[in-house]
Amino acid sequence: MSDHSASQLSHFLAGLRASASLAIGYVPMAFSFGVVALQANLAPWQAMAISIIVFAGAAQFILVSLLAAGTGGLTALTAVLLLNVRHVFYGPALVAQLACKPGRWSPLLAFGLTDEAFATAMSEATRRKLPPVWCVGVGLGAYGSWVLGTVLGVMLGAGLEGDEGVIGQALSFVLPALFIALLGQAFQRALWPVIAISAVLTGLSLLWLPGHVAMIIGMVGGALIRPWVGLNREAQS
Amino acid sequence: MNFMTLILLAGAGTFLMRFLPLVTGSGLSQHPSRLRLMLSALGVTAITALIVLSLVGLWQPEQPFGSTLRMLAGSVSVLAALRFSGHVGLATLVGAVVYGLTGW
Repeated sequence: MSDHSASQLSHFLAGLRASASLAIGYVPMAFSFGVVALQANLAPWQAMAISIIVFAGAAQFILVSLLAAGTGGLTALTAVLLLNVRHVFYGPALVAQLACKPGRWSPLLAFGLTDEAFATAMSEATRRKLPPVWCVGVGLGAYGSWVLGTVLGVMLGAGLEGDEGVIGQALSFVLPALFIALLGQAFQRALWPVIAISAVLTGLSLLWLPGHVAMIIGMVGGALIRPWVGLNREAQS
Repeated sequence: MNFMTLILLAGAGTFLMRFLPLVTGSGLSQHPSRLRLMLSALGVTAITALIVLSLVGLWQPEQPFGSTLRMLAGSVSVLAALRFSGHVGLATLVGAVVYGLTGW
């Protein structure tokens, strides 16, 4: 093995080790996804297919929720893609922190670029420039733990369907807890009007409209005021 | 649209939203525009809308005070765990456990 290959392998393994902290959260979340998918009357292979092919935590939950609610495929697809639009900004931000161009690693690096993998990479980037293959290690480690968690969920979670015990109750809160944690991580003081408008619009829409429509109204309505919030603050400064 | 078509399109769309900006450089993240600001806010607003949806789904009208209190305890636990650990996964786990225990 050449020095270059050995170095690449070393960076990759270091990335895999760094993904261990992600696995602490990913395995139970993916387990919960497996259970939720079964509750939504999806077959185990369908739950696995979603985790293996889509690999987008929160979007997978909303996809299953919309399918369970009988929503059309086009609406479900639109919701998933709208939910993942934020990923558009991860790539350029990450590239700026890499030690070299990702080159042939780009597809693998992009596939594993979830919210948590991006946050892990950006945290590490405060200490050093990142080897692209290290980021690939983080992403693939996260992917492995997500798929493993889904396997456990569809294999062991069938008995938890409708469970009213502590585990069943706890699993019912995994989804809101994940979203609250993600919002807490992404929160910036300047964004509070955007968040408030989005919450109010979603809540009010829910009084008259189905959940998936209320969600789109809330997210688009909140985002529409974002330029105004930014311009207003720029004008003040 | 059948199930596999939907999943393949969702997977391809998600991948392309991560891949294309990665290979086209940093232009999008540095270009100031109203559209960029709106797109950048979609993630936060989507998560906010999902919080509202998921909490409304858990709220029990027959136990309005109790269910509100449990959701509050779970939510505060998530934020406290996130504040101290900085780890989304761990914070999620703590919030879920607190919610589960308070309903036992």
